[in-house]
Amino acid sequence: MESLLVIKQQLTSFYTRFEAYIVPVLKFLAMLIALLFINGSVGFMTKLKNPAIVLILALLCSFLPVNVIVLVAGLVIVAHMYALSLECAVVILFIFIIMYALYFRFTPDDAIAVLLTPVFFAMHIPYVMPLAMGFVGSPVSCISVGCGTAVYYILHFISGHQDALGGGGLGDLDVEEMLGGFKTVTDGILKNDAMIAMIVTFAVTIIVVYLIRRLKINYSWQIALGAGMIVCFVVLLISSAVLDADIGIGGAILGLIVSSLLVLVLQFFIFNVDYSRSEYVQFEDDEYYYYVKAVPKVTLDAPQGRRKRKNTRRSREDYYDDDEDDY
Amino acid sequence: MTRMAAYEEREGKKDIAISGYFRGDYISLQLLKSAIYATVGFALAVAMYVLYNIETFLEDFYKMDFVDFLKGILSKYCLVLSVYLVISYFVYSYRYKKAKHHVKQYNQLLKALMHMINIDRKGR
Repeated sequence: MESLLVIKQQLTSFYTRFEAYIVPVLKFLAMLIALLFINGSVGFMTKLKNPAIVLILALLCSFLPVNVIVLVAGLVIVAHMYALSLECAVVILFIFIIMYALYFRFTPDDAIAVLLTPVFFAMHIPYVMPLAMGFVGSPVSCISVGCGTAVYYILHFISGHQDALGGGGLGDLDVEEMLGGFKTVTDGILKNDAMIAMIVTFAVTIIVVYLIRRLKINYSWQIALGAGMIVCFVVLLISSAVLDADIGIGGAILGLIVSSLLVLVLQFFIFNVDYSRSEYVQFEDDEYYYYVKAVPKVTLDAPQGRRKRKNTRRSREDYYDDDEDDY
Repeated sequence: MTRMAAYEEREGKKDIAISGYFRGDYISLQLLKSAIYATVGFALAVAMYVLYNIETFLEDFYKMDFVDFLKGILSKYCLVLSVYLVISYFVYSYRYKKAKHHVKQYNQLLKALMHMINIDRKGR
């Protein structure tokens, strides 16, 4: 455990020291992975599949805000759709604008969830996102995770039906065929039961994890993770049965276990406390009396690697830092 | 001081901007923005619906009661807009309350810091 704490501290200090360089590198990697995933599943425009263009776009995005990165990824998808057929591009563009309006109003800070959800789906561990967003996000994070889920299923549908949907761009303009294609794409996207089941499951999981981890009980984060896993599985079973959706239960169980292990690692980095040393403190300011339960973080004393054992009374300033999450 | 600087650099910018408004002004402005977003989203959804059913529309073009059709669209628009605005109201009321709370805490910490600096100066 102590060696893990040493690694955590080293990583934290490394991040703090080189934050200015690490953040662009992470953005670059996230965009690169997202572009590779997009090109791998719906890479219909050969120009955009050029490694040089992919690298340039990823490099450009490393200096842009995350919201703009999501916008660029969306435009790349629409360009690929245009290469497949005009009706596909129109439907996807409409859906993206509606999603962007919905998500951007409420959860502009969760843009990374929109980008990472399809990537985790491709890695067969999509359950990481609802569990993790329940811990680091808020109930409205279900909008961004829902948007990411919809994007994945849209790409999945298009890549699976590219032969049926491929009608060329404006060159082969046949209005009747286009309208037929429009109907096929819209049906395929909006009447996708697996997508609806997943969105419902993820939304319920995020809310349950969020509510439990905010409870003033010991080990709330660990309980939230366990409850989140169970709720996720049960809701997935129920919603897939009700909607008659095609979702592999074996894969879901395996995916949930792997996802929860990854979320445990995340917990270790963002919320590692020692409940055995909890203490209750009282103080007051001009307007309030405060009755505070203070749970010390597990940290290391010094580079020698000794774990902190000594109880330290929490100051008022510490209390102020422990705050509610953004809505 | 580090924590205060970090707050000032990150969430603080937004919180201070929000707390510069009166509650009513801030929520009204956000509701107006929400209404614009909801209108754009609804217009696109209607456009998709019309394109999806274009064959039926063209076939029944002369039989259709447009007033009835528009009434249906308008009532759905009102419903969507109301739901969206109610959600927006709760979300932005909460955000305003939280931003005010954070700025208040930040100001208290600033006061404490000033107090410490003054004591330090007097000590010299």
